[in-house]
Amino acid sequence: MISNKVGMRELITLDGNGVVVRGTFHRVASRRGTETSDANKSIGLMFLNALFHPRSANADSGVYWADSFAESGYPTYRVDLPGLGDSYGVIPNDLLRFINDGGYSSVTCAKTKELVNSFGLSGAVVFGHCAGATTAIYAASECKECKGLILLDPYFNLPKALTSKLSPELVHWARRSKIGALIRATYDRIREVPGAFRKDALPANANHGFVSRWKKVVSSGLPILIIKSPEPAALGSNKVRAANFDYLAYILSFAVSSNQVTVHTIEDTDHSFANRAGRASVRQQVETWLGEYFPQAVAETTILGDHSFQVQDINPLAVGTPVAVQVSLGD
Amino acid sequence: MLSQVQISPYNVLAERAGYFPVSGEHLYTVLHEVENPVARTLLVGPFASERASSYLPWVRWARYMAAKGIEVLRYDYRGIGESTGSFEHMTLDSWTSDVEHLAAWLKSRGQDVPLVLHGLELGGLLAGKAFHTGTADALILWSAPANANKLLRTILRRWIGPQQLLKREHERKSANDYIRLLDEGRSVEVGGYEWSPELWRQSSSFDLPPAMVPPNDPADTYKRPVRIVTLGKEATPLVKGGVEGFEENKDFNWLFAPTYHWIASSLRIPSEAA
Repeated sequence: MISNKVGMRELITLDGNGVVVRGTFHRVASRRGTETSDANKSIGLMFLNALFHPRSANADSGVYWADSFAESGYPTYRVDLPGLGDSYGVIPNDLLRFINDGGYSSVTCAKTKELVNSFGLSGAVVFGHCAGATTAIYAASECKECKGLILLDPYFNLPKALTSKLSPELVHWARRSKIGALIRATYDRIREVPGAFRKDALPANANHGFVSRWKKVVSSGLPILIIKSPEPAALGSNKVRAANFDYLAYILSFAVSSNQVTVHTIEDTDHSFANRAGRASVRQQVETWLGEYFPQAVAETTILGDHSFQVQDINPLAVGTPVAVQVSLGD
Repeated sequence: MLSQVQISPYNVLAERAGYFPVSGEHLYTVLHEVENPVARTLLVGPFASERASSYLPWVRWARYMAAKGIEVLRYDYRGIGESTGSFEHMTLDSWTSDVEHLAAWLKSRGQDVPLVLHGLELGGLLAGKAFHTGTADALILWSAPANANKLLRTILRRWIGPQQLLKREHERKSANDYIRLLDEGRSVEVGGYEWSPELWRQSSSFDLPPAMVPPNDPADTYKRPVRIVTLGKEATPLVKGGVEGFEENKDFNWLFAPTYHWIASSLRIPSEAA
């Protein structure tokens, strides 16, 4: 009665090296007569969790996009990294800091490789939103199976910059309240201003280790699509914004070609990209970009044939007892 | 810098994810399977927009019970998360019917052991209604609202705040503007979910059974164990109001342990088995 497949979706488990990651595979419709060979393997899309969100993402936008990209010929996989969604694992108390330090880098790289090998893909384009974009950059810097990046609202600074000199009660209030959120954002912007006058220097609250990974990835020539949401109106005028350090311009200066990094801003949406306008625009921008950098003729090869990869039920006796795994936290 | 993180599967039970067919759609389910269970629990989670923040502690609660010998089934509402269907076509009636189907399936899994329904927020309303009709041997409600419309209004107002920061003053709409549209029979998009006029209309009369509303004693009415708990801010992110990225690994033993002990004592589960 209960199945692990429905329509074009299939529940998957990546269990290499004893690290079990659960996910959903959005299959590509078969083209009769199409043969798969090493010469025309498909590029797959791999979605990462945005911070604590399960793999369906904000308001299930991940499901919508994955269905759409699979319909366009790109097999798409949404996975829950260890400790998130349905994947078992113990996450640290400060999840955001863990991610900002590259905590999921190694496991993401390993699972990208496993996905590519298990499904006979030619490589993977990694899709990350917000904190997911941070993990995507870290992983791409050490993963040759990653052939491209789609990043929604990546950030470059350390959001905890406010916390060190204030009382715990005030920090707690600032974290919980909406006014606090606005103050935090304003504070981060003020801290960026001195850097804006020294073009070669990063602001004090930059995530330096992360920025160095960015530079490595961009310098490698990897195609990258960056999609941004509009800045909140409450953060002030364009003049104020212009004084902020332009991380993207800084990063783009390391690109090996002028069309390597594509940047779009979508109006009429917010940071979640989950409303109607956001979903549709992200879909359109990504499909256009994929068509340009990973043409559909290659991606549309059928991968619907039986693949040997099918481990849905976990037998605890077969898997064994938990083991501690070293996870790199970056530089 | 290195950190040790335990990321291998826990060694207590199997977790089976799958798709459960209901009325032309499929519910995403995860069965925390237990050999020779002492009881079974159906977890009925919160409303769409609350699902993401509560997901991790809700899964941990399922694992906690499974480790104690209670088999657990959790799922995504029809049209939400990993389940199929369009959210805008869903109604409270369809979600109520899903609870009944899943409870019947869980009960039919063999070994005549008690069935517990456990609902969180809107899930409390759904579980409460199923329990009222005779489904299940015990009921747990965490922060169940008295009425679904009251909950939707709270969610709408919470969503409006951050939205105001995105808009210029002349573009801003108040919660009352959205409520007026819904009252007029128009759809409204809230946090990426299209609220239909039908969902809104149904919610007005979708109440917790009166026997479960204080000062009534539901255990007295139903002659079956009922535990009703209102969770405060200490229970974030299980309930909304916390800080994203800082509380996902919060220790919920203060909530899980007494709830489990209540199940064990109410259903007379032998402590050795537990």
